[in-house]
Amino acid sequence: MFLALAEMRRAKVRFGLLIGAIALLVFLILFQQSLQNGLLTSFVGGIRNQDAPVLVYSVDGQRTVQGSVITPDLEALVRGTDGVGEVGRWSQGTFTVVTGGETRMTGGGGPGEDAVDASIIGFDTEGLGTPSDVVDGRLPTAAGEAIASDADAATGFAVGDVIRVLPGGFEIEIVGLARDVQLNASPTMYVPYDTYLDVIAAVNPDAGTPLPSVLTVRPADGVSDAEVSTAINDRSLELDALPRETAADETPGVAQVRQSFQIIFLLYALVIPCVTGLFFLIITFQKAGALTLLRAIGAPAHRLVSALMIQAALIVTAGFALGTLLYLPVSQQRLGGIPLRFETAAVVLWAGVLTVLALGSALISARRVLAIDPVEATTGTGVGR
Amino acid sequence: MTIPSPPTAVHFDTALHLEPALHLDDVRKVYPMGDAEVVALASANLTVGSDEMVALVGPSGSGKTTLCSIAGGILSATAGRITVGGQDITGFSDKELTSFRQESVGFVFQAVNLVPFLTARENLIVVDELGRRTGAPARERADQLLEELGLADRAKNLPSQLSGGQRQRVAIGRALMNEPDLVLFDEPTSALDTELGEQVMELIRSEMKSRGTAAIVVTHDERITHFCDRSVHIIDGHLDA
Repeated sequence: MFLALAEMRRAKVRFGLLIGAIALLVFLILFQQSLQNGLLTSFVGGIRNQDAPVLVYSVDGQRTVQGSVITPDLEALVRGTDGVGEVGRWSQGTFTVVTGGETRMTGGGGPGEDAVDASIIGFDTEGLGTPSDVVDGRLPTAAGEAIASDADAATGFAVGDVIRVLPGGFEIEIVGLARDVQLNASPTMYVPYDTYLDVIAAVNPDAGTPLPSVLTVRPADGVSDAEVSTAINDRSLELDALPRETAADETPGVAQVRQSFQIIFLLYALVIPCVTGLFFLIITFQKAGALTLLRAIGAPAHRLVSALMIQAALIVTAGFALGTLLYLPVSQQRLGGIPLRFETAAVVLWAGVLTVLALGSALISARRVLAIDPVEATTGTGVGR
Repeated sequence: MTIPSPPTAVHFDTALHLEPALHLDDVRKVYPMGDAEVVALASANLTVGSDEMVALVGPSGSGKTTLCSIAGGILSATAGRITVGGQDITGFSDKELTSFRQESVGFVFQAVNLVPFLTARENLIVVDELGRRTGAPARERADQLLEELGLADRAKNLPSQLSGGQRQRVAIGRALMNEPDLVLFDEPTSALDTELGEQVMELIRSEMKSRGTAAIVVTHDERITHFCDRSVHIIDGHLDA
């Protein structure tokens, strides 16, 4: 400890720069982790955070809610499948809406109105396809009511706000907010099924009664989500039943987004040990004479290695702490429509991963230290010379 | 530069110390060179009394640093017996030699002598930090040594802030920190001018004699041998002792 701290005290700039570099990399990792999670949540949060255990798509829909259409024949097959407990209808459409007077309006609404695209999801059974975590207000119970995602509250979708759907001007009042229930990275509202049909009729009076996009299923007692999904899929090649988490993960684009971020994380995870390892290797070469002298006057090799590892641990700890401090205020912001969040689990995970990687990379320098021959003190040479 | 006189010399009675500081008995060091062998030290026999100061004189490549390194436990001999302060270190493992160097010998090297990122005081204290870690007594001893060496006001200076002579004095202080049986000086004046070199040798002699500590001063400069009790010459690995 004496040697490690003394050297760090005397070379504040050198060690400070390394701490700064690690802090910057940690900040980027954590920021990108928040961005990935925020992006995926805004894509499929509406599927992951609703309370139906199983979703049934039509195969033609390719696991997108809006592309899926369940015909009456298919619906009957699902309802008649062994192991199915409760079945609900779930429909989703994308509509142009304006927030009523809460925001500056400049788009396709009236003069000064700002039109945005929003997803409206209709459900016909409470507790089967409704948001599972209501954080403000309540679930909609009457016609013309909706619950929105808390991520959109600041953009005109707060409790009490009235949304107008264009064209037609159908009005929906927000009566509740639920955590992370966005779909397709757009403002999302859950409405009773009849309200959903009213919206369709208001927007396009000639549309007729639309078929449900997806069926929401709760298995009978004693039947697992996977078992009921398999049973449904066995009934028809046109049905594609998936447990909730699988449905979210299998939504087109999710795997690609996750894979892209994983490559970025892998690159960062390679850069940090490279930076740390090279730094310690360079300073080990630079202070080779001093290390050789210390070995010659009786310093056990393990004491010198300990000093090196203590420095590596202190630097990665300080760098991680500084990076997390930088990340904290940024994680409270929104990036475009994507809400960021402080990811505690990611912070803990990356703290462990980066500590191990940094200490591992410092072992290369430790090997050089162990290779020092004290006799080199008599010739003025040192490790690596 | 003025090097202060050491404090009141402690009279050291050699009769009380029966064991010599160093005893080399037919010590040989051979380096393999392909199929051949290079003899760096050929059957060296040398005894250094417990408070004796010996100049080891020889030209470059004569084997004087090799002998010094073997005596100090930095290098293992190919054959022979080495006893330092009554301790037979001949068969010591690397770990045992490290402990031996830490506790029983002091070194002042020709080239790199101080840790550049430690202050003068810390360069002395590090000896304790690497070993027994006595703490306060070591700090007091470091302060006392620096005082004796006229470096009390330079205790917080880094080596880069010290002159060549001051650096050598700090190195001497470090070599004395562990109260060694034997101090090995490898060309201690080679980087100094004649006047400063003589002052440093005077200091070395007075410090060794005041403590009754034995020393070997490796040099190729005959002009400084008169500071030692006797001179031993070495040429091509052969000792004339």
